[in-house]
Amino acid sequence: MRLLTTTILAGLMATTAQAADLRMSWWGGDARHAQTQEALQVCGTKHGHQVAAEFTGWAGHQERITTQIAGRTEADIMQINWPWLPLFSRDGTGFADLREFSDIIDLSQWTEEQLAGGEMNGVLNGLPVAETGRVYFFNKTVFDAAGLPLPTNWDEVRAATGQLGEGVLPFEAQGLNAIFLVSTTVTQMTGKDLIDAQTTTVAWTPEELAEGIRFYLSLVEDGAIRSWQQVAGEGNIELFEMRPWADGRIAGTYEWDSAYAKYADPLGDQELVPVPILQVDSAVNDGTYRKPSMLLAISARSENPQAAAQIIDCLMNDPEAVDILGDSRGLPASRAASERLAAEGGIDPNVAAAHDLVLAGNGPVPSPLNEHPKVREIFGDYLEAAAYGQIEPEDAALEMIDEMNRAIRSFR
Amino acid sequence: MESPRIGLAYLAPYLIGLLVFTAIPFLGSLYLSFTDYNLIQSPVWSGMDNFRELMNDRTFMRSLRVTLLYVFITVPLKLAFALFIAVILNYRLRAIGFFRTAYYVPSILGGSIAIAVLWRYIFADAGLVNMVLTGMGLEPVNWFGDPVNALFTISLLRTWQFGSAMVIFLAALQAVDKSLYEAAAIDGANKWHSFVHITLPLITPVIFFNLIMQMVQAFQEFNGPYIITGGGPLKSTYLLPLYIYDEAFKNFNMGYASAIAWVLFLIIMVLTVVAFWSSKKWVYYAGDKRS
Repeated sequence: MRLLTTTILAGLMATTAQAADLRMSWWGGDARHAQTQEALQVCGTKHGHQVAAEFTGWAGHQERITTQIAGRTEADIMQINWPWLPLFSRDGTGFADLREFSDIIDLSQWTEEQLAGGEMNGVLNGLPVAETGRVYFFNKTVFDAAGLPLPTNWDEVRAATGQLGEGVLPFEAQGLNAIFLVSTTVTQMTGKDLIDAQTTTVAWTPEELAEGIRFYLSLVEDGAIRSWQQVAGEGNIELFEMRPWADGRIAGTYEWDSAYAKYADPLGDQELVPVPILQVDSAVNDGTYRKPSMLLAISARSENPQAAAQIIDCLMNDPEAVDILGDSRGLPASRAASERLAAEGGIDPNVAAAHDLVLAGNGPVPSPLNEHPKVREIFGDYLEAAAYGQIEPEDAALEMIDEMNRAIRSFR
Repeated sequence: MESPRIGLAYLAPYLIGLLVFTAIPFLGSLYLSFTDYNLIQSPVWSGMDNFRELMNDRTFMRSLRVTLLYVFITVPLKLAFALFIAVILNYRLRAIGFFRTAYYVPSILGGSIAIAVLWRYIFADAGLVNMVLTGMGLEPVNWFGDPVNALFTISLLRTWQFGSAMVIFLAALQAVDKSLYEAAAIDGANKWHSFVHITLPLITPVIFFNLIMQMVQAFQEFNGPYIITGGGPLKSTYLLPLYIYDEAFKNFNMGYASAIAWVLFLIIMVLTVVAFWSSKKWVYYAGDKRS
């Protein structure tokens, strides 16, 4: 019966798109890679297309996509990070207009607000896969073993230092996570996003930013997190690849809700759980960093855009593909997919809980320029210099703001 | 078929490769260095703007300093080590063929991503090197977290790939006329004297060749720092090729990246010219009339 249905469906679809050889690229962890390949197999069979999978880890993926677009060799279907839209498609012509395929992709499964997140210059360049945000995750097994409750504020994180066992630290923040930690702290204290959307300048004063840097440094001084030097000693690898994380010797991190599996999988039997956002004492809001997650886009140069649209619709809305993909990219933005997963119990309760925390938190709407490569680089460089004691937080903040303003000047 | 055509046919694959993969990108990057090009839109002519900006770019200056330091550490270290091993392998030892092969293998593997990843694990905090150090009762070293150690660790990876330089040294050592050593021994020279006064002068053309080759390669190092340290900490391993890569593919400044690449090319060229100029004073060729 299933075979018959598939055959009929494939025949029907053949009226709108010829059998095509397509390519799809994405980044992610092992779980996402395996599930996406399986879903592509199903969707390819349903629509009579062959879809070659091109997947990598997060590191270097933007460079890969950039090179491909510049060389006009990008995949037909691309998983795009939301902040990349203004970089690749400032006027909306960098990717195909997905509204042109509204007869193939069931866009009614997204709200207009959600779709607006994938638009550039009024053109729907990317279909939001999910909405995502930063969440604090803790290794519950480690806290349980020490007889401590999961932290609900920073004082409890500091208090857990030295109580979790020999050499066990309650938290980790270095590199990008340290940037987000400082950023969230300052947003909580000021109620402002890093970038003022009206003026396209840095909204924080040097004093406010310096306060955030000092907060990060105080966590290192208190021994709640490893110093930048110590983490750098592991080499250029991510936390979830580090032995201390897998061993439970680092018991917490601040990550995207959609990255849950990437961090939970290496823990084996240990349980990783999300907790409500940790606030600083003077917080005026949660400082939640929430944004459209990754988007699926079709290359503006694809020779088979209709076939690509069929695959996108299948991945996002088809019950069988939805079941396979599960929450590998966080909770789906597509109503059909999220309802299906909720009904089938296909969502990891911890992923659902993390996503609920993201949605429940408040804070200013972040500008995509928060994630502009140059802004990130400046933030990271000065934070690192402050962490190494090479510059005072006040001076770092002054320099940082000055350089960031110069970096984003062209977007005014 | 006439012989010139046959010759051309044999040359064609090389010439096409040279044209497509070297000459065109080479000239293309020269053009791009005078433009503002973000990869997505067409290049816009900007004259000398990129080069002027470079002079005030602190990241460029820091990266240039690190690159020069890396080259000045790595090249002499690698040449000295390659020559040292070549001298040992020039002796008639048992299983000498095995040793020569074994010492050459790292050169084949050394530049690969897998070896860079392996290096990262060996020198990580809980890696093999620190395990050995603590096993000997010594303090572990933060190889990647300390800016000085990090550059040294990256330099070691390149030094470890000494095989190709070693093979060339070995060939040169074997070409040295043995009767010179016998004559020196009769005059009372010991091994060290023979090495300094006979071997070294006679292999200076090969030392010079290896110096140029290794210097050019060291200036182009990318894999090691990219994989092992990501250019950190504090940009202490942020070599110019990494900066070129970041500007081109992360920050979309292909014009600026091309300008940096050309400055790097000019630096290599100047140092090569200096090396050639200095070679008149220390490189001895057969039939040389100098005393």
